[in-house]
Amino acid sequence: MPYKIAAATSDGVNIDRTFGSAEWFTIYEINGENIISAEKRIFRESEKIALENCEKGCGSGCGSGCGNGGQHSEKVDLISDCRCVVCTKIGFPIRKQLEKLAISVFDVNCSVDEALQKITSYYSRIDNHESLRK
Amino acid sequence: MAKLLDKQRYKCALGAMQTVQAISRAIPILHSGPGCAQKLSDSIGSSGYFSPNIFPCTSINEKDVVFGGVKKLETTIENALKVIDADLFVVLSGCIPEIVGDDTGEVVSRFEDAEKPVIYASTAGFKGNNYKGHEQVIDAIIEQYLEKSDEKEQGLVNIWADVPYQDLFWLGNIRELEKLIAEIGLTPNTIFGYERGIKNIDRIPKAQFNLLVSPWVSVGNMKKMEKKLGIPYLHYPTLPIGAFETSKFLRAVGEFAGIPSENVEKVITEHEKYYYYLIERYADMFLETRVMAKQFSVVADAQYSLGITKFLVNDLGLVPAKQFITDDTPKNFQEQIKAEFANLNYGIKAEVEFETDSYKIHNEIQSHDYHGYPLILGSYYEKEITEKLFGHYLIISWPVQDKVVLDDFYVGYTGGIRLIEDIYSVAVQRWN
Repeated sequence: MPYKIAAATSDGVNIDRTFGSAEWFTIYEINGENIISAEKRIFRESEKIALENCEKGCGSGCGSGCGNGGQHSEKVDLISDCRCVVCTKIGFPIRKQLEKLAISVFDVNCSVDEALQKITSYYSRIDNHESLRK
Repeated sequence: MAKLLDKQRYKCALGAMQTVQAISRAIPILHSGPGCAQKLSDSIGSSGYFSPNIFPCTSINEKDVVFGGVKKLETTIENALKVIDADLFVVLSGCIPEIVGDDTGEVVSRFEDAEKPVIYASTAGFKGNNYKGHEQVIDAIIEQYLEKSDEKEQGLVNIWADVPYQDLFWLGNIRELEKLIAEIGLTPNTIFGYERGIKNIDRIPKAQFNLLVSPWVSVGNMKKMEKKLGIPYLHYPTLPIGAFETSKFLRAVGEFAGIPSENVEKVITEHEKYYYYLIERYADMFLETRVMAKQFSVVADAQYSLGITKFLVNDLGLVPAKQFITDDTPKNFQEQIKAEFANLNYGIKAEVEFETDSYKIHNEIQSHDYHGYPLILGSYYEKEITEKLFGHYLIISWPVQDKVVLDDFYVGYTGGIRLIEDIYSVAVQRWN
């Protein structure tokens, strides 16, 4: 079954953006271990600014901390059809929102190629019930 | 079809974190998923300066499975060294990092020059149970920490016996063994429990010999020490409980250590006189056949199954039904252990079965004719079945739910008396 990976990369070469600072995600569609297609999904500018300006902590209503009534950040909605997201860093509340949608988060510093290769190989093994033993 | 194991009596190899914990001021650093330490810890005396809830852990997750967890391990060790005041750090790797191929040994080797020793043991669950894990930790100390010593201390003996925490009586037993060894003129050295720790580990290479009191656990460790440190070992396979076995044990140790036999005999005589004085005073109770069950079964690891069976037959003259060994004893030791069960006084042989599945054990207990109510010495798992059979039940092996042991022990002359007290207390409670 094909699936999608969202990557926070500004240049298409390295994973170089935090989840919050990413202006767009490159969405790779994968079948088996092969990349079928790549598309760029741009995040709405206004929301990005709102996110940057908002204060962290309880009740700020911007998706961080308690009190936002369980609503998703729009950025989460943007990639809700993906199986996982790769970025350099991610905040805890957003991670929770993604986890609720069963979207895995990989916060790593590496090239896009390396990330895709490792993640696709991992998913291919678990999808085919193969051991992860190396 | 997958095989189901009902009510197993051991944990995974990572359970060896309790072996590390038993060494004063040593702390395990776990390279494992979050929750392993929680699941593996018992509340049987494991709180204190270091407890499982504060063991440093890499808490690896899906990301580390995909991208490797070595970086996290390195920072965890680095920070543990900064904030924890311990004498020895033992990195233990769990299943996940071992499956995905994290090179724990390589990461640990980067800390060779650290102020405190950092060693590592591979304790992945799929490699075996916590008896194996215990061996791995001792192996790690031998391989990565100890150095051969030219200086030897005459009469110094390293004693190795029970697996800490897995064995309810580990602390009391090892202290009592120390006491007995000291009485025949030797100097005991042990690494587990109060006020032992790193200074005693440092003394290991100076010992005249290693004394292992266990049917199979740690035999590999003894061989390793013999090879690397040049320390010969005496393997005494039976946990000496009661006068008969303890006297035999002291004679064997005395002979191996080259102690004049009259010195050993003097100690034995003194102990035996008091031991049999106590037995004699209660002889009427022992001879009152209605009090005690006609046959008994022990369900425990090889150490206790063998030790207690010998005691009950040789010292108390009870008749063994089938005995069960539940520690997943390696095949190459099974014949040897079986032979010990066939070597009881009065020509009695006890049938023994190596079985890890409680369902099968309980079926066998239920279908056996004990000629009345049975005496079952086992774990908490045997409580219900013994109640069903209206038998006498005493808890002596893991898992333990209904007994608190701080430093009680069953080893030696005094230990034998303690076991008699416990067994007969159970028996007389039925009648009163």
